[in-house]
Amino acid sequence: MIKIDGLTKYYGEQKAVDNLSLSIPEGTIFGFLGPNGAGKTTTIKMIVGINTPDSGSININGRTPFMPSAREEIGFMPEEPHFYDQLTGLEFMRFAANLFSQKSQAKESLEEILKKTGIYEARNKKIKNYSKGMKQRLGFAQALVNDPKYIFLDEPLEGLDPIGRRELKIMLENIKKEGKTIFFNSHILSDVENICDQIGIIHLGKLIYFGSVDNFRKDKSLEEQFVETIKKL
Amino acid sequence: MRNILIIAGNTFHQAIRDKILYGIIIFALIFIGSSVVISSLSLGEDIFVIRNFGLAGIYIFGLIITIFLGASAIYEEVERKTTYLLLSKPVTRADIIWGKFLGLLAGIGTTILLMAVAYLLILLVSGGSLDFPAILAVMLQMAEVALLLAVLIMFSIFTTPLAATIYTILILYIGHVLPLIQEFAIKAGGTTKYLLMVAYYIFPNLEKFNIRNLVVHNIPIPPKEVLLSLGYSAAYILLALFIAQRLLNRKDM
Repeated sequence: MIKIDGLTKYYGEQKAVDNLSLSIPEGTIFGFLGPNGAGKTTTIKMIVGINTPDSGSININGRTPFMPSAREEIGFMPEEPHFYDQLTGLEFMRFAANLFSQKSQAKESLEEILKKTGIYEARNKKIKNYSKGMKQRLGFAQALVNDPKYIFLDEPLEGLDPIGRRELKIMLENIKKEGKTIFFNSHILSDVENICDQIGIIHLGKLIYFGSVDNFRKDKSLEEQFVETIKKL
Repeated sequence: MRNILIIAGNTFHQAIRDKILYGIIIFALIFIGSSVVISSLSLGEDIFVIRNFGLAGIYIFGLIITIFLGASAIYEEVERKTTYLLLSKPVTRADIIWGKFLGLLAGIGTTILLMAVAYLLILLVSGGSLDFPAILAVMLQMAEVALLLAVLIMFSIFTTPLAATIYTILILYIGHVLPLIQEFAIKAGGTTKYLLMVAYYIFPNLEKFNIRNLVVHNIPIPPKEVLLSLGYSAAYILLALFIAQRLLNRKDM
């Protein structure tokens, strides 16, 4: 279970995340939604242990992500991922996998992950020659190298063409079937509504909704309801 | 330690594949090679000129490569957000600092080694013998560039590559005139003396690593001095990287 309690983060005087609490059960897909600048990326960066909160706590499977060993169970794909351009895709995957202890490295080979994420053909090309979509796929692939129980994705659908988006959604559903928990940030609402078990909506750092997609949208589309809710605030 | 070495290996691969680095190395080899032509113009001082020119070339181009690789070391990681990929894995910020340092040092060391081999070959071909003191001079140069690299990494956490380069060049200059500053301070007396002595102890004394003049003039080098210089470099590196680590720990990514 992912449990976040009273999470708060300031950037200077500005409160980027304001007393955020969430509880995400195992084996579910959670969509974290919000307009640009709402605090989605700040939140996900704290959850995966990149930045520390000013107050509040984060527990992933009973452990804090600020202990490096707790991150053995985490996979993270940042928004518009950047890599070491002089390396090839496969070299980067090897580098990423080596950062984990042997026992948490993926059971399937790195090449299998690259095949699954649709980047296998370009595995020996230098990353500097990759397109935006290819980098996005590699970003997703490197998040799977340790066969993580908890997968965090920041705007994973951004930069992908319709085929890529569809493939990624199918992959997320397959990963969920393996009992893994997925937490992802997005502002592409039409893609979110089909695959999420639960959503959370954040606006100006505050959580304004947490629950199922159906409860939130009622008789409207997710996008319509989302725009209406944000405009009212 | 394992992750430090993995990051170091990755940094080394990334560094040695940079095309600009190859350009600098080619230019350095041409410079060292040209000592043969220049020595032919001297009157019976061929070996002296080759040693002088060769060691100066290795030093100058070693510095250029150090600044080129080190100035953006951490700055680029943070700006390009590659740190996100590292820190979400079982990697600490200290692993990144030490991994970057060791990887870049290995890259710089490889290029200096290449230049040193070219120098020794030119010397042998020109009728000289295997220059052991020169090897010692290059070893101390490595201690100096390691120290400068640690300082560059520290600067690259809180400033841009251009500013880090300027600060490092200033430290390089001050570091080589420190013995003169010390002499002046002793003569000056009063408050000036204390201010200058504070500067003397804060800035790294880079003249401790300069034995090139002793080498070209065949003056014996006391082994104790060499060992002290190596220890001085190690202590300064530890301090600079410790500060770098503290600065990076406080930084929001």
